[in-house]
Amino acid sequence: MQRSSVSSALFEMGNTRVIVAVYGPREVQNKSQQNNNQALVRCEYSMANFSTGDRTRRQKGDRRSTEISLVIRQTMEASILTHLMPRSQIDIFVQVLQADGGTRSACINAATLALADAGIPMRDIVTSCTAGYLCSTPLLDLNYVEDSAGGPDVTVGILSKMDKVTLLQMDAKLPMDIFENVMQLAIEGCKAIANYIREVLLENTKQLESRRGG
Amino acid sequence: MATTARGGGEREPAAGSGGGGGAAAEMEVEAYRRLFPVAYFERHLRESVRLDARPLASPRDTSVALGLVGSADGSALVKFGDTTMVAAIKLEVMTPPAESSDEGSVAVDFYMPPICSPTVRPGRSAEVAPVISKQLSDVIMSSGMINLKDLCLINGKASWIAYLDIYCLNADGSLFDAALVSAVAAFTHCIDDGRVVTVPGELEGKTKLPLVNKDKRKLMLNNVPFSLTCGLHKEHILVDPTAEEESIIETFVTVVLDTLGRVVSVYKPGGSVLAYTSILKECITLAKRRAQQLRNILNESVSAMEVDKSS
Repeated sequence: MQRSSVSSALFEMGNTRVIVAVYGPREVQNKSQQNNNQALVRCEYSMANFSTGDRTRRQKGDRRSTEISLVIRQTMEASILTHLMPRSQIDIFVQVLQADGGTRSACINAATLALADAGIPMRDIVTSCTAGYLCSTPLLDLNYVEDSAGGPDVTVGILSKMDKVTLLQMDAKLPMDIFENVMQLAIEGCKAIANYIREVLLENTKQLESRRGG
Repeated sequence: MATTARGGGEREPAAGSGGGGGAAAEMEVEAYRRLFPVAYFERHLRESVRLDARPLASPRDTSVALGLVGSADGSALVKFGDTTMVAAIKLEVMTPPAESSDEGSVAVDFYMPPICSPTVRPGRSAEVAPVISKQLSDVIMSSGMINLKDLCLINGKASWIAYLDIYCLNADGSLFDAALVSAVAAFTHCIDDGRVVTVPGELEGKTKLPLVNKDKRKLMLNNVPFSLTCGLHKEHILVDPTAEEESIIETFVTVVLDTLGRVVSVYKPGGSVLAYTSILKECITLAKRRAQQLRNILNESVSAMEVDKSS
């Protein structure tokens, strides 16, 4: 779905389907926010009305959307080499088409793909995955039903090759040793996704190359 | 990619002398396209061809896919070239108002999230979105595609309300047409899966009513409307304009026809070209042809869905 100044990516994790469009680097729309040393990264997250089981009329600026927008933005900012594109703006727009748990992670993975497709320089591929702990078992990539069971939900985002964690979120109580297990599981999930993303990007580049006749 | 959209319409502009190798010549064409869009456009029109090498009366490749969104009761993805629309229907039960106690209702909403176009800024929705939303709502209601009485469950107590949400994922012209097709496609796919309806109060001793509609059933659609938007520029009629063409052309005519070929609506919101009756008749003829095409595409995707289900 490529046009001239935009790149987009559709990412599916089970039943969670997310579409991300990346615009830029382009001119800063709000001159007062312009930064002379680096690029501005903006992110907006929104869920379609039909994305969850019950149709909910979501307001644009509701708390959850704002929080997730912030999380995605900061996670991607950790990886984008913003100092290479001063006085410009990179927009990441996320639209959730179908939500079945792990939307945050799916958004980050899709954003990575879209940014790579846009050719925006990044330190590393950022991938994210969730893990939880139910019935004394660590579980990877919780769906909506598992998430609503009330157990802990750990979201991890890593820079895969550099093996650095950029995002870590958890709510609920968990003993330290179990937490380490669950976090390790999530990191392994992230690495698996990173491998998959790398393959997809390679495949895409090969196709572009052959279309260009190179 | 810009290189693929060249085709037969490419002519070196008189201003830039086509010399200097492939890359330099291409830069001149791109620059000319940005700096003098109207002139670039008219040069193409003189050869009876458009910016993407289509003939004037030819619409873009259209595709319809049903059932994209699993969590919705009916959904469709429609693409007109690059214009992409996702429509999804969710059915919920409501208490009908006293004046129309035996009717259900349909609520249509059209959204243009910032993902669809670089011109849509977050925080401020696109200007055309509520306009298209209203147009869609009017056309769906006035065409009589859905008999609201079909949506009734229990007279006076419960009926369906169908929330139709249409999201534009990529805005490249002909938004209304694509949105209407996606709405119609989503309705053809919409399956009412027999939910249990409980009526409070009256039924003491019973906790729920028996299922009012036991089998999964599809909504009956009659008089399905299809539309076509044409751009009028000087004496040319362009079918299915892209966003670039829409930025150059100022006059548009949208014609909506139903299954019997009757005109459901004609919409020409001003514009510098004043249309004679002959031009409007031409638009209606083009719309008839397009409606037939769309009907075939839609029927194909419906039968493709049924094959998938049964296999």
